[in-house]
Amino acid sequence: MTVYNRERFLDQLAGQLGRDRRTSAERPAYSVQPQERVFQGADQDQLLEKLKEQCKIIHTNCLVTTADELGETLRHVWDEDHIQNIVSAGGPRLEAYGLSDIYETMRQDGYHVHVWDEQEGRKNVTTAEKAGAGIVFSDVTLAESGTVTLFNDRWNGRSISLLPETFVAVIPKSTLVPRMTQAARIIHEQEKKGVPVSSCVSFITGPSNSADIEMNLIVGVHGPVKATYIVVDDM
Amino acid sequence: MNVSLFITCLCDTFTPDVGKDTVQLLERCGCEVDFPAGQTCCGQPAYNSGYTTQSKQAVKQMITAFEASEYVVGPSGSCVQMVKEYPHILRDEPEWRKRAEHLAGRTYELTQFIVAVLGIDDVHSTFQGTATYHPSCHMTRLLGVKDAPRRLLENVQGLTLINLPQGEDCCGFGGTFAVKNAAISAQMVEEKSCHVTETKAEYLIGGDMGCLMNIGGRLSRNEEDVKVLHIAQVLNSQ
Amino acid sequence: MSIKIGTKTYADRIQEGIDNTFMRHAVSSAQGRFRTGRLKAAEELGDWEDWRTLGEEIRTHTMENLDYYLYQLSEQVEKRGGTVFFAETAEEANTYVQKVAEEKQARKVVKSKSMVTEEIGLNEALEKSGCEVVESDLGEWILQLDEDPPSHIVTPALHKNKSQIRETFVKKKGYTKTDDPEELAAFAREQLRQDFLEADIGVTGCNFAVAESGTVTLVTNEGNARMVSTLPDTQIAVMGMERIVPTWEELEVLVSLLTRAAVGQKLTSYITSLTGTRLENEVDGPEDFHLVIVDNGRSKILGTEFQSALHCIRCAACINVCPVYRHVGGHSYNSIYPGPIGAVLTPLLDGYEDHKELPYASSLCAACTEACPVKIPLHEHLIRHREIIVEKEQKTTKAERLAMTGFAQWASTPAAYKLSTKMAGTVLKPWTKDGSIKNGPGPMKAWTAARDFPAPAKKSFRTWFDEREKRREKDDRL
Repeated sequence: MTVYNRERFLDQLAGQLGRDRRTSAERPAYSVQPQERVFQGADQDQLLEKLKEQCKIIHTNCLVTTADELGETLRHVWDEDHIQNIVSAGGPRLEAYGLSDIYETMRQDGYHVHVWDEQEGRKNVTTAEKAGAGIVFSDVTLAESGTVTLFNDRWNGRSISLLPETFVAVIPKSTLVPRMTQAARIIHEQEKKGVPVSSCVSFITGPSNSADIEMNLIVGVHGPVKATYIVVDDM
Repeated sequence: MNVSLFITCLCDTFTPDVGKDTVQLLERCGCEVDFPAGQTCCGQPAYNSGYTTQSKQAVKQMITAFEASEYVVGPSGSCVQMVKEYPHILRDEPEWRKRAEHLAGRTYELTQFIVAVLGIDDVHSTFQGTATYHPSCHMTRLLGVKDAPRRLLENVQGLTLINLPQGEDCCGFGGTFAVKNAAISAQMVEEKSCHVTETKAEYLIGGDMGCLMNIGGRLSRNEEDVKVLHIAQVLNSQ
Repeated sequence: MSIKIGTKTYADRIQEGIDNTFMRHAVSSAQGRFRTGRLKAAEELGDWEDWRTLGEEIRTHTMENLDYYLYQLSEQVEKRGGTVFFAETAEEANTYVQKVAEEKQARKVVKSKSMVTEEIGLNEALEKSGCEVVESDLGEWILQLDEDPPSHIVTPALHKNKSQIRETFVKKKGYTKTDDPEELAAFAREQLRQDFLEADIGVTGCNFAVAESGTVTLVTNEGNARMVSTLPDTQIAVMGMERIVPTWEELEVLVSLLTRAAVGQKLTSYITSLTGTRLENEVDGPEDFHLVIVDNGRSKILGTEFQSALHCIRCAACINVCPVYRHVGGHSYNSIYPGPIGAVLTPLLDGYEDHKELPYASSLCAACTEACPVKIPLHEHLIRHREIIVEKEQKTTKAERLAMTGFAQWASTPAAYKLSTKMAGTVLKPWTKDGSIKNGPGPMKAWTAARDFPAPAKKSFRTWFDEREKRREKDDRL
């Protein structure tokens, strides 16, 4: 935890800029703010429609369900792809979304559902690597781009949304915002208050892909091959 | 309205007919046209090649030549754009910069002048045939003249315009680029010529003689029978 | 590798590019797709010009306060458990990374795509220290296996076709399947997954660092940067010193500009923002995090007329619209930064000596300037370079200098100019046939190699106008 060579380096920059070192900077009032206009004034239902539209472009299934039906919907998603091994984010939202019970029932039905558990350390990663699907909960959902924002933390390891072939995001409808602008603002406001940002914020938009071979779109390269969003209408 | 014609060295030397049509067109639009004889070349060949010092001699000559003009109008987006660069080129010579600003503020490309200053978008011309239009780079991207030529052409009686595929691509002229990087320029003009012939149009119309000489030269080398016309020639056709 | 990728002459490179039919076809169709994507993305927004203006304002403000924002960034990274190393030169950066690798006794290093590590030649340095270095971006991995430099800054293997790629996989990795892109990618996934799991160190670049929080943001589609920053215990992020924004609010604007301008996507699949080390109760992500901030010639650009070249966000929009790039391909530039931005940046970072032709490899059509999401006046920078090459570096030929001196005299002496318009036809007569010149003398040769040149008119415009005026005066007198 050190900083090397900083003074010499920054002195050189200030010298090039023809002035003394600056110890603060005032962000200017930018002359235009087009980012604020995107879906301005849209309500949650309108944002959901935008999200659904965008999902078609990003090769992502978008299902809408209710809190009561969430268990059935999840089971349907797994059965469709014959997925037996599941890794899920944990934390207080498990209870809040009623998932603890749902997972328990599923375990009894023969599914292997692993909930991320810091006590198990790196074993979580190995489990995620072998899992067919990873379940996460969206913290902020961007309608414009069809993006799930994850503030990765002790309950929501980075590997869950990365290593399994199928990526499933549970999206409470209330988390929908127009675009990245609102997500960035939340983080910026927190920073200003002295609340540090997560060690990893993942903005995930559909499955992984590449166009590196002759510009052909290949869906599923290093990350998930398949992405499903489950929007919970009454959350 | 008094207009001084900025003929451009290419039109002066190679295509005087374009100049004649420009004069007549402006006169038909109600302008009084004069021709300051002190004008030469806008200086772009030197400036764009990095010879700024040398270009300044041409630039100052041009500023002097047009000092007394009310409006300066030229049948070339590229050469007119060069005049717009004059204040920047002479930024370190305050007196000259002022004179340059004065000139730049009064200088217009032909179609831009007709549409924006004269407020005319139909010059009542008739021209029979099918044509495609090449929007030259400096005219559209730097000078920002995109709609004026099209608007005027659309109102020409008898003319059918066909869209030029990838029209916004450079034809490969680029002044000294065509000589200094002849191999690359040749590929670019070949591609442009192919797009022109693809349209099966009888005529290629453009607003810059440099580009037209380049594309026309390639079409002629390829023995294509597309005829090349400056927009002034079409707009002055009766 | 370094900025320069080879030793061939400019003329040879250009000719090789022009002769490479497959590459040109690939580049041309890629440009078509990129262009459509970018224009569609801009159209969807409806106010793209406002976005560009905002992008430009953000970049301008950031560069003007770069020392402060880098200071803030380093403070925040340190606060979050990371180590920051400011490197003035490529050597300093490489030596530092080597030192970390040695301390960790690292054997395997996985990398996600990063232009700055190409620029400083980090792979070679790590290999010298005995590390196996694996590029994990699909395009970069293909190039690494084939020992070929990138030809594009977003899709580095653009110049290769699938059968060439298959051959490389067969030869280097024992691949046995077809050249179907899906199969090729699946093979890469399977091969590289093992590398991710085994690696001791992950090396990433940095699209944008956020000063206020000490965050490094990576913009990818494949997910490899997430692998590199999730699985190994040590992460080293290497960033060009200008790749920074003040706060998250600027971050999101520039990310939006980048993804739209680069590939026409609203956002790419993964925008990953990493801050320091993993927290105590977290089990994946690095326990040791290093940020290497590289100058390597950039600071010399600050405070000069080229400062806006540092605004570049590496989206390649200028490359994707450049007609010169289309016909000669990326390798012709002999720089890891090709296309218009490469022609501007390469001489600034690596000197004019080896790159004096690059600023001339443009017709100044300004398609690049128009496409740039942060409004860098690329074609104007090219003219400035030419000015320096002529006036300061004096690297042009004597013949050209003489011609330009002649031009200046001709264009500033109306009498001489007038005479030339009269004489041009006579002078060129020996080469003129049927009103055109097919094989001209001197510099005209280069022109007439590919196209005809019109014969000068028998009577110049000014002569006609003079005569007309005289006729009119006579008529008036009568």
